Order: sequence, then C-alpha cells, then structure tokens
Amino acid sequence: MLTNFLSRLLRMVIVMFGISVITFLIFFATPGSDPAARIAGRNAAPETIAAVRHDFGLDRPLYVQYALMMDRLFITRDLTSFANRGQKIVPTIVSAAPATLSLVAGAAILWMALGAMTGIIAAAFRNRLPDKILMGASMMAVAMPVFWVGEMINLVTQSRLHDTWAFSWVPPLGYVPFTSDPAGWFLALVFPWICLALLYIGLYGRMLRTGIIETYQEDYIRTARSKGLSARRVLLKHATRTAIIPIVIMFGMDFGVLVGGAAVLTEVVFGINGVGRLTYQALKALDLPMIMATVLYASFFVVVANAIVDVLCVMIDPRMRRK
Amino acid sequence: MTSVSTDKLPPSPTGEGVSAPDGPWKRLSAGLLSSPTAVLSGIGLILIVIAVLLAPLYANHVAHTDPFRSGLSAKIEIDGKKVPVMQRSTEGLGLGVTPIGPTWSGEYMLGADTQGRDVMARMLYGGRSSLLIAASATMLTLVLAAIIGVAAGYTGGLVDGVLSNLIDMMWAFPVYLLAISLSIVMIGKTIVLGPIELSSSSLIIPITIIGLVYVPYVARPVRGRVMAIKNSDFVLAARGLGVRRHRILLRHILPNVLSTLIVFAPMLTALNIVTESALSFLSVGVQAPNASWGTILQDGQALLYSRPTVALAPGIAIMVTVLLLNLFGDVLRDVLDPKSARGR
Amino acid sequence: MDLRVTSRRGRRGRALARLAITAAMIPAVAPALAQAQEAHRGGTMQLMAVASGGTLDPQINYTAQFWQLYSATYDGLVAFKKADGPESNTVVPDLAADMPTVSADGKTYTFTLRKGVKFSNGDDVTPEDVVASLQRIFKVSSPTSGSFYNGIVGADDCLSSPADCTLEGGVIADADANTVTINLVEPDPEFLFKLSVPHASILPKGTAAKDMGNTPIPGTGAYMFTSYDANNSLTMERNPHFVEWSADAQPEGYADKIEYKFGGTEESAVNAVMNGQADWSFDPLPADRLAELSTNATDQLHVHAQSAWWYAPMNVNIPPFNDVRVRQALNYAVDRNALVSVFGGPALAQPVCQILPPDFPGHEDSCIYTQDPGDTWSAPDMDKARALVAESGTKGEKVNVVTEDNAASRGVGTYLQSVLTDLGYDATVQTVSGDIQFTYIQNTNNNVQISVTQWYMDYPAASNFLNVLFGCGSFHPGSDSSINIAGFCDEEIDARMKSAMTLGATDPEAANAEWAKIDYAVMEKAPAVPLFTPRRLDLVSERVGNFEYSSLFNWLIAKSWVQ
Repeated sequence: MLTNFLSRLLRMVIVMFGISVITFLIFFATPGSDPAARIAGRNAAPETIAAVRHDFGLDRPLYVQYALMMDRLFITRDLTSFANRGQKIVPTIVSAAPATLSLVAGAAILWMALGAMTGIIAAAFRNRLPDKILMGASMMAVAMPVFWVGEMINLVTQSRLHDTWAFSWVPPLGYVPFTSDPAGWFLALVFPWICLALLYIGLYGRMLRTGIIETYQEDYIRTARSKGLSARRVLLKHATRTAIIPIVIMFGMDFGVLVGGAAVLTEVVFGINGVGRLTYQALKALDLPMIMATVLYASFFVVVANAIVDVLCVMIDPRMRRK
Repeated sequence: MTSVSTDKLPPSPTGEGVSAPDGPWKRLSAGLLSSPTAVLSGIGLILIVIAVLLAPLYANHVAHTDPFRSGLSAKIEIDGKKVPVMQRSTEGLGLGVTPIGPTWSGEYMLGADTQGRDVMARMLYGGRSSLLIAASATMLTLVLAAIIGVAAGYTGGLVDGVLSNLIDMMWAFPVYLLAISLSIVMIGKTIVLGPIELSSSSLIIPITIIGLVYVPYVARPVRGRVMAIKNSDFVLAARGLGVRRHRILLRHILPNVLSTLIVFAPMLTALNIVTESALSFLSVGVQAPNASWGTILQDGQALLYSRPTVALAPGIAIMVTVLLLNLFGDVLRDVLDPKSARGR
Repeated sequence: MDLRVTSRRGRRGRALARLAITAAMIPAVAPALAQAQEAHRGGTMQLMAVASGGTLDPQINYTAQFWQLYSATYDGLVAFKKADGPESNTVVPDLAADMPTVSADGKTYTFTLRKGVKFSNGDDVTPEDVVASLQRIFKVSSPTSGSFYNGIVGADDCLSSPADCTLEGGVIADADANTVTINLVEPDPEFLFKLSVPHASILPKGTAAKDMGNTPIPGTGAYMFTSYDANNSLTMERNPHFVEWSADAQPEGYADKIEYKFGGTEESAVNAVMNGQADWSFDPLPADRLAELSTNATDQLHVHAQSAWWYAPMNVNIPPFNDVRVRQALNYAVDRNALVSVFGGPALAQPVCQILPPDFPGHEDSCIYTQDPGDTWSAPDMDKARALVAESGTKGEKVNVVTEDNAASRGVGTYLQSVLTDLGYDATVQTVSGDIQFTYIQNTNNNVQISVTQWYMDYPAASNFLNVLFGCGSFHPGSDSSINIAGFCDEEIDARMKSAMTLGATDPEAANAEWAKIDYAVMEKAPAVPLFTPRRLDLVSERVGNFEYSSLFNWLIAKSWVQ
C-alpha cells in the first residue's frame, strides 16, 4: 500500500515537473513573449527596460530563471505577476479558488441529480416516448457549445427579459462570496450552474441509461427478477447501483479537471473571477508566472483525480487491478 | 473537457473472437443499414457536406458576393430601393452602425456581419473549414492515440510507464497556451514542407492543436483494450502455440483497435467541431478573413444584442451537425461494439 | 500597461448638459447652489471594469483606467485643471502654492509649497517629500523615467544606477523657505506637463523604493485607497486629512465612497448600468448596444472628443512598404468612411488623414490622400492607388496585417486586408492578444509589415505625437520598446522637429505653426495610414449627475454625484 502510494506520488511529481518545463520552454520560444517591455510600460527608454529586466531576473540563464520561479512559487510564495506588476500569484489563486469551487460543486450536484434522474427514467421507459424525449434532449445538451449557451442565457436574463417578473431577480454577472451574502451567492450562481451542468446532465444521463440497460440483461438481475422482486425494486436497487460505478469514476475525473480551471468558458461568459478566468487572462497577457501557477494548479487536480479514480476502481472491482 | 476511463472497464468479450477480416465490415454495413437512425443521420450528414461543398456556387450565383471581402460600403436593393448594408443609426444620438438583418432572399439571406459580408455565404464556407478541421483533427488524434495506445499496451514495462506519464501530461497540459504560442510563431511566416505550404492563415494550426487535445482521451481506452487482448486466454494460447508477436499484433490486436477507433471517430469529430468554436472564441482558431462556424460565432457575439441571427446560425449549425454525428456514432458503436457501449 | 489598451470611444458635447454644468460653476449663484451641492454630498459610487489596471503604485502604473483614479487621490507640484472640456489641458498649481518661477534661460524652476497640506496618513507635505518622490521615479524604474524626466540634472546617473539615485544638483529642497528648485539640462517647454501626470505624484518620503503593488501608498487627494484586490475590487474613501485648497487642482468629491468591481463582461456591465446595479463601466461599450442605447439612454450617454488617433503604421524598412509609392497607394485606397462604420458611426469616429488630432496644438486641417486633396478627406481614390502600386511593381507580394484581438481592431484589420487584396496583394490578417500585440509590432525582429494600433496623448503637445511616433530617437531596432513602429527616420524632418521643440520654449505659436508643416511633411512620406479620431463614449446610471470630462483623465469621478 505504501509503495503504491509512493509510486503514485513520484508519478505525480514527474508529470507536474514535465508540464512546468514544457510550459516554461514554450513561453520562451514564443516571439514577443519577452515581458520586460510590457512591464516597463509604453515608450520606456532602453535604460528603463534594462533595469526592469535585471530587476525581474530576465537577464539570467533559463535554468536559473526556472529554479528561481519554482523557488518563489513553492518555497517563498512571493512570486509576482509579469502583467500586473506587484500582484502576488499565490494569494490571487487562493482567493480565486472558492469561486471556481462554488461553481463546479453546485453544478456537480445539479448534474449528478438530474443526470441520474434522466438516466433512470429513460431506462425505465426504454424505447418509449419519455426515453426518446429525454435522450433527444440529452444529445442536444451535449451538442451545444457551452459559451454559446451562456451568451444566450445572458441575452435573455440580463437584457431582453430582465424587466419581466421571470428574470428581474437575476443579479448582475459576477461572483458574490458566500461568506458575505449567502443569498446573493446563490442567485448569482443559478445560471452559471445550469449552463455548466447542461453538458454533463446529457453525458451522464445517457451513460447511466446504457449502463442500466446492459446490467439489466446480466444474470444476477435475471435471478433477482425470477425471485419475484418487483421491477421497480430491481431497477432502483440492483441495476442502477451497478451501472453507477463507471459514472462515479467519470465524475471523479471531470470534477478534478473542472476544479482545476477547465470551467474557463463558463467563468469567462458569466464573469466569475475563478481559476479558469485567471488562466484565460494570464494566457491572453502571456503572464508566465500566473500561467505557470494555474497550469500546475490544474495539473495537480487532474493527477490527484486520476489517482483517486484508480484506487476507487480497484476498491469497487478488484478485477480492474492493472496487470 | 471531460474524460473517460474506459481502460478500467473489464475487457470486452467481443475482443477475443474477431479474427476474420471481412466479418466485422459486413456486419457493420448491415447493422447500419438496418437502423433508421443511422440511415437518416447519415443522409443528414451527407447533405451538410454537399451543402458546404457547394459554397462557391451559392456565393457566385445566389448571393452574388465575395464572402471574404469587406462590404462596408455595399448597398443592396430591397423593394426597388437601394439600401446600405451597414445601416447608421439615425434615431436618438445617432450612435452605432447596425448591419442589415435577414432578408430571407438570395442576397444577405441571414443578414450581414460587422464587415458587411453575407452571413449565409460565410456559413457555407465556414462549414467547410469547420468540418475539414474537425475531420482532419480526428484523423490525427486517432493515429497518434493508436500509436501511443498500442505501444504502451503491447510493450508494457518501461515504455508503458513513460507513455502513461506522457498521456497524463497531455491531459493536464494547457493546450490554449500552445495554441496562442503557435499562432504568434506563425505570424507572417510561410513554411514549405514539400507539397504542403504552412502559413498563419492555413488550417494546420487549429488542426494540430485540436488533434492533440483528445489524444489521451482515446489513447487510454486503446491501451486498455490492447492489454486486455494481450492477456486474453485466446492470445495466451496462440503464444503458447508459438505464433509470432507481429502476427498476433496484426491478426488479433490491430483489428480490435481499429474497431475501437471507428467507434470514437464520429464522437470525436463532434467534439472537435465544438472545440474549434471554443478556440475561435479565444481568437486562436481560423484567422480572418477566412471563416469557420467558430469565427462566425465570434463575430456574432459582437452583434448578439442587435443581430442575434449571426450568432444563432452557426450555433444551430454546430448543434445539428454534432447531433447527427452523435446519433450516427451511437448506432455505429452498438453495431461494432455492443458490449462496451457505455453511453458516450 | 499602457493608455491605448483602454479608452476607445468618446463624446460629442451636449449643449444642454454643459450649460447646466457651467452654471453650477459660477460662484455668483453661490448660496442656493452650496445648499444644492450639500444635498448631493454622500452616497457610494459603484464602478465596474472587466479587469483591473494592475499595480496601484502611481509612479509605475501607466493605464488610463487607474490614472483616472489617481486624479482624485494623488497630487503633483502642478496639475492639469480638473475641469470639463479643453480647459482641462491647462496646468494649474497644485501642491505648489503658485506656478513656479522660471529662470531666464528656462532651465531652473522654483516651486513654493502650499502650507498645511497633509498626506492621508496625517503627515505634512514637505520639500523633502518632493525630492524623495522625484528620486523614486528613477528608483522604481517608472515607465517614463527615461522619456519624461531624463532632462533633470543628474537623471543620467539615476537611469544607469537607479538604486543610488540622488538627482544631485537636479532637485534641491529648501526646508526653511519651503521651496523646491528643479534644474534642467536643457530648457523644456513641456516640463510642466510632465510634472502634472501621475508619475510625478508626491508621495511620503518614507515610501519604499520598490513597486508597492497592491498596497496603497498614502496620497494627498480628496480620496484615498482603502482596499485593493486586483482580481476582485477596489475601494476609495474620503481622505480624512483633506481640506480643499484649490478646486481647480484637487476638488472635494461628492460621493463618500467609491467602489470599483473587477470582473464580468462588457455586455454585462452595460446591463448592470441600465438595470441600476452600477453607475459606470470603464470598458468601451459593445458596438451592438450603441443603436439601442442612443435611443433608450440619451441622458445617460456622454460623448467626448479624444486627443488620439487610430493608425496603421507601415514598416518603411521592409517590402513592400519600403517603397513610398506603396504607402501612398494604401493611403489613397483606404475608405475612412468604411472604417468609421466599423467603429460605430460618425458620432464616434471622425475620418482623418493626418497625424495630429483635430483641436490639438499644431493641428491644421489638411488631407493629401483623398479624391480632391484639400482640407478634409472626402473619398478614396482607387485609380490613383492602383496606378501607384503598378508603378512600384510590387503587385502580388505577400502582406500580413497584425491586429489586436478585440472586435474594433480585428474589424479594422480585416478591412485593410480586403483593401490590400483589392490593390493586388496576397494579403492576410493575424490577430494577436492585445497585451502582446503592442510590443510585438514594435520589434523589428518580428518583421511586421503593417499593423493596427492607437496612440493617446500623454500631454497636449504636438511633439507627443510627431516626435514620439516618427522621430529617429524613438526608433530602436531589435527592441520591444521602439514606439516609432514604422521605423521612420528622416534626418531632415527629425532636425526640424528638434528645432520646433526648442522654438516652443520661447514662441509656442510659431512652434505650432512649424509642427503643422512637419505633420504635412511626414504625411508626404506616408509612414502610416491615419484611420480616424476615436471619441470616448461613457454610459452612466440615471442617478449620476454633473458629468465632467478631462482630456487626460476622462470622466472626473470626484466631481459627479450619485444622489
């Protein structure tokens, strides 16, 4: 168990190290990425740029710069941004994390609940009208670009129908911290949650339906039915439980990626200052320290989610142990 | 933005017996033809492809316009009157210029965009780029994933360890950084590789980037599949009988991998269409004045409140195409791989 | 990091609103007015922006977004008058009690400080604070340290080793007389302008000589920063130690508190202002809302002229634009009216074909590149353009236009690509993120042929456009900071600009007449395509009253009320 844990840890470090090196190299290989002139300001004199370059250590060899950056990111934690001079990276990410977590956690509850409902109902009414309607809707949900849905939602709720009774309660876009105003937090997140969850409701609902139908045909379910258990009991208790295993696995991975910042489009469209939007802005400004930090932050969650999923798999079904 | 973990699923029993090379293909066509969903969605997809291929015909003979040329001073005739395409606001403070809305006739059927260009004509040309990018990226993904997956799964050991780490890295890697970087590297440059000419306006950049995004997504299940077959009783028995490694690879493993890849193809193409629009949303996709559904969507955003059609049209086009691809893909998977049908 | 990322739309003077404001400023109607003003005092002003402006350090920050706030939080020795319209271009004494006495040779400025002015931490403003602040400009490598303040005696040493900056002999404090004397190497007619911008803010002498980042530095203005989180919000409250000493230099504000939220999108900011959830948004209004707003919100919109231009610099050192005929051809071919459409119509942009913006010192109407050359632009002359291209023999060459990734810049770039194609070139457009594009197009190593960019004035002097953008001194091959993007260096014109600057010290009017000729001479060589003069458009909520606009700081937030 311990060796397993240690090898996982080692693998995680390797992956994160690799990603940080590649990110670093891509940055310096990009023409126009040199931040000195951007930090110095428009029409700065050559002397000023030289001073800034020296100040930020940009005149040192690449491997020294890399080591310094890692040191300031993980050890002294005082790494500052290239784009917003003086903005400290670590506290910025720490303060952005709750917004992303609120968005993703809420959406996850929504998609798990609605996804499960969709899947179970569709399986119960297999090949009949409710199934067809639900599966059609799921496919539509999967087929729509998330930012497009978001923009359409904003168009309706913030402008076109904002003055009607239906949407007059919708607050302006942006994140309201839970600690300062729980009701405002909830209202501000209602539509972002729906928008983000839509895709996953579709995916999970379809997957659950197929899973249930498949397990329905397996032997022990037939046994349960022949023993005279009611159809509903079999569906809810046995079939759903087995079919939900792959969903739990998928959930772990999706959740990890999203918390790490993959909800960027939803965050950008709804103006939520989360980790994803931070990554997006850092990329647009080619702000290396912020890119580095957000990328490592994201990869950490991806790798951890991968590890948890692997452990879960073995726990649920020992047959899945890696050979 | 989602992930699969199909490699953790129990090996599929169908993987063991498929050996006759023409068996699955016959079953495939028969299976597809017997499903009305597959036939209808297939016809729908073919119609879309034909429509976008006819784009020049439409632009020249119906819309009478060059969809890549700014038409800021253009005028069109409506009810015998010459009307400017870019309409300056005359009421109130007179701020703003609004492009003409849908005319529902030959010229400017869906209205104009912020450059006064015909949106319908651009939709058709844009569809070409979108479909071409999505399809090429899918091919790229499948080839790369197959190589990585088979190498990792079949060789095992150190190679597997290295490749698995590589897959993890790719999955966690900020692809948009690569996209932005590549697009800057390519500014004003032309790289000639034999018959292929790469320039900043070519579609190679979005294809490469989108092609890389989903490699881990496919490589993992391929690796799982290969490992499962490698360790199946059937193959173990064959090896016991002294059948050579490359023969096992060719006869047993590759056909199975191929069916996994075919299952992924429509779904990946669908995902890629959506990813292309996301890349354009971040301005690193197809470069102006070329169009793709993603760039039209981006243009449409700037007109969302005054001319929502410009954003609605590509959104709907993407939705319909993706829907058809998924419907078709579902049937395809059921036919090829009935047991491992896990919903995607 | 620079002004041009920011303000993009302006306003046309609305006579009624302006009349009301003027009336409010006349002291004769004082008693009733004072009462009315008292009633407007108080409340919280809610501002919005998609992103923050970066560091809060006034000697480093170079964004229009935060300069606007500095106008109410920090003071220099002198300041631009906090007034509406062209008056805002005049310099008035601020922390100095009067305008400085200048020596006959124009090299020595002596300022007498006002008595009793305090920083928001309660300390008095002393001559030592002034010396420390001017040294700090160099110690923190302020963006303009090498371009604005390099004329001070001792500045060269400060630039080469910032940490040991003393400005020995350049800035001399006399605590007993309460004066500060500044010595220049050469007379500089623009020096007082340079002392009026936020980089020359006077800060407490103990302020650390490093970028203070998100930590507020005490200032002397009517407001002080009380909290700042670059990813979230900023708060300004009344400075408890502030007593109004000059309404022209630093007026007392109406609102008790100013809250600035960062996040959201441009569209959502408009919605928030229209729904009464915010008072104003910094970002340019989305083009698709203009028509709707100009009928629904006529009283909430304010359009103002800006001293700025949108232009397309052409690299005069690489093909095809190393041939003057090609540059002239493009100037003839570009339909400025079409570009005005891209930018939101004639109310928001004015076609131009010269460098100095209308109403700017040294501007004289002239247009060489139009159908009937004369004072103003009328229509493109495609025949002439095609003839020039044919003459140059460059037809069919590849041309790439580099634009920023916002809607307006991309629109302009796409249009230019279309025109270049019409002229027979193999043209493409490349969009690059705005933050990177500006430095990318400056570096000659990137071989950018033509790009789309803007320039907003730092202070109202013709040299700030002509000498900065087309002088040999601002061309640095291989550097990311080479603001002469066209790489245009004409020795004869450069010498004329130098003498015009010297002339400005003694005879500003004659100098401006000479600048007008220089403008014409540069345009004959056509290193850039002037596109249009943008106007700034502000949308405020219904409750905002007394909107005043300064050319440098945009909306003077402190002078408006919310109740």
